Amino acid sequence: METKRTPIISVKNLYKIYRVGETQVRALNGVDLNIYPGEFCAIVGTSGSGKSTLLNMLAGLEKPTKGEVAIGRCHLEKMNENQLVRFRREAVGFIFQAFNLIPSMNALENVALPLSFRGVPKKIRLKRAAGLLKTVGLAEHMFHKPSQMSGGQQQRVGVARALVVDPTIIFADEPTGNLDSATSAEVMELMQRVVREQKKTMVMVTHDNHLAGFADRIFHIIDGKIVKIEEKVKEGEKER
Amino acid sequence: MRFWDLIRMSLSNLWRRKLRTFLTVLGVMIGTASIVVMVSLGLALNKSTMETMESSGGLTTIQVYENGSFVSMGSGSEEESSQETKRITEDTIKELAQIPHVTLVSPVLNVQILAKQGRYIGYLDVYGMSKEALESMDLDFAWGQIPKEGDGLSFVYGNQVMMNFYNESTGEGYWDSGVLPDVDLEKPLYYIFDQESYWASQNPVEDTGENEQQTQNVSPPKKYMLPVAGVLAGDMETYTEQSYGVYCDVETLLPQLKRVFKNKAIPGQPVTKSGKPYKEIYYNQAYVRIDDMDYAEEIQNEIKNLGYTPNWNAEWVKSQQKQYQSIQLVLGGIGAVSLFVAAIGIANTMMMSIYERTKEIGILKVLGCSLSNIRTMFLAEASAIGLIGGIVGLMLSFGISWALNNFGAALGGAITGMTEAQISYIPFWLAGLALAFAVLVGMIAGFFPALRAMRLSPLAAIRNE
Repeated sequence: METKRTPIISVKNLYKIYRVGETQVRALNGVDLNIYPGEFCAIVGTSGSGKSTLLNMLAGLEKPTKGEVAIGRCHLEKMNENQLVRFRREAVGFIFQAFNLIPSMNALENVALPLSFRGVPKKIRLKRAAGLLKTVGLAEHMFHKPSQMSGGQQQRVGVARALVVDPTIIFADEPTGNLDSATSAEVMELMQRVVREQKKTMVMVTHDNHLAGFADRIFHIIDGKIVKIEEKVKEGEKER
Repeated sequence: MRFWDLIRMSLSNLWRRKLRTFLTVLGVMIGTASIVVMVSLGLALNKSTMETMESSGGLTTIQVYENGSFVSMGSGSEEESSQETKRITEDTIKELAQIPHVTLVSPVLNVQILAKQGRYIGYLDVYGMSKEALESMDLDFAWGQIPKEGDGLSFVYGNQVMMNFYNESTGEGYWDSGVLPDVDLEKPLYYIFDQESYWASQNPVEDTGENEQQTQNVSPPKKYMLPVAGVLAGDMETYTEQSYGVYCDVETLLPQLKRVFKNKAIPGQPVTKSGKPYKEIYYNQAYVRIDDMDYAEEIQNEIKNLGYTPNWNAEWVKSQQKQYQSIQLVLGGIGAVSLFVAAIGIANTMMMSIYERTKEIGILKVLGCSLSNIRTMFLAEASAIGLIGGIVGLMLSFGISWALNNFGAALGGAITGMTEAQISYIPFWLAGLALAFAVLVGMIAGFFPALRAMRLSPLAAIRNE
């Protein structure tokens, strides 16, 4: 079954080596993985395992030392920074651990922001942003500044912002790292729902095995190597 | 990204840091104002010189005299040693007209005429010129106009000619009483061309003795009633080159003179050794108009080569202008120092704001804001500081300029003796240039910070503090 589908993300033999003084640190030490359209994947590892580095490379925020990262047919390792920015603008949504909303903008403007980079007229992008804020359940908080919202609400705005550009892939970097467990679960459920409903591919990085349980597939990464891939598809199907 | 979205974002960023933006703008404002005010001082100096120049003869007119009339004044012996003086005749006029860049040549015939109305009498300094020359002078009339063709001899009065009239019986004039003679120029005046015989006929009794026989024979000369064609604009205070003169068409003046002095020499005209007049009329000077003051030097040399003495009033204007230019440079340089300091202020503010917003810039990059947009955003911020500072600085400069001209004028007048002179003059181009310069300074100051912002790593956004 897997062989028939073409992966949307395909990583081959990926290395990232940092030089700290005289010593070399292998953050990624030969990673191979394939992620298919519509999948919700989690990359799980302890801190320093290289999971964030992997995510950065998938999103084109960092250059690999060696190896291939292909999103669809685009090879990120061959792109220059301008092309990478365009790639992120056109195809990627990003959810941050620290929410990273612009503090001077209200929720609506924050969600609409990525559309402005595409040159979408103000009216259209605000309309679209308002629609997404409703989807994430923040219809009443549209004109609140980030400082007037709780962490959970802020992260919902973050999710809406990632969705507004209608991306093919959403990357989430410890999306619940700054939230308490109850809100974490809420946000995770929201993300899960959105991915399923809108058929997005989601790649999430976390250190929490429990949160990783929301994903369809879990990559365990230790010392820059993927050591275990957990399939939860069947489980999910059983649940349904 | 759309242009207006970019601008809106830049401005909202500036607005977020009101106090710092305000302080930076303050720096630019002071810099701009100091440049503008400093340069305006120099410009006003230049302008007032040019205006003085303009009022005492245009920059594009050259007077041509016969050789020696200036140089050997009071040293007649030298004049004789040089070859025969070339006088200004009709041929001279034609000759001068041949010189390139000369647009107009007119003879100038200068005679003294007595004018009378009622009790008042006055000497008129009459200049007969060609009609074209009169027209080219752009005379500013209080009323009337240049004598029309076919009108016969009529005069244009300068606005200060009135001062020359005095009461014939008391001898009191404007200079004695300070009261303007009651002469109505709209009514015709009587003109006496032959002054010599007029005075002779007026005072027959005084000249007793050996001259008795002569004076008794003199009958008063004929008076002519002639109209006034117009009076130049201005009161007794406004001095122009023309304000003391009386002008008329030389074509009408000459026949009149010839009629009056049938066989005698017209006063002012040279005579032969036997006291007879020459057949030809010799003009006092030629009025030459050129198309551009840049050619004045060339043309003057040509005129010298022809054997005449040119006189260009604006000769010293050029040296004066050069001097003022260097003054302006020094003044502008002093102002530029403060704008330079302001530029450092802008660069500093922008750098600070980039450090503060490192994370935010990173977020923008992760979300797909293109590099050039980020650069433009920061450049726009820096130039907005320049623009706002420039505008406020300009307003300040106009204020200072106004204050200088209104309150400083009395002070300046006391020092320089020029009461009417402007101290500060901000022409339109200076305002525009200052504004453009302020924006440019902002952009240059913001250029490196903007590059820095552009090159910031997007990873900064994801790194957790």
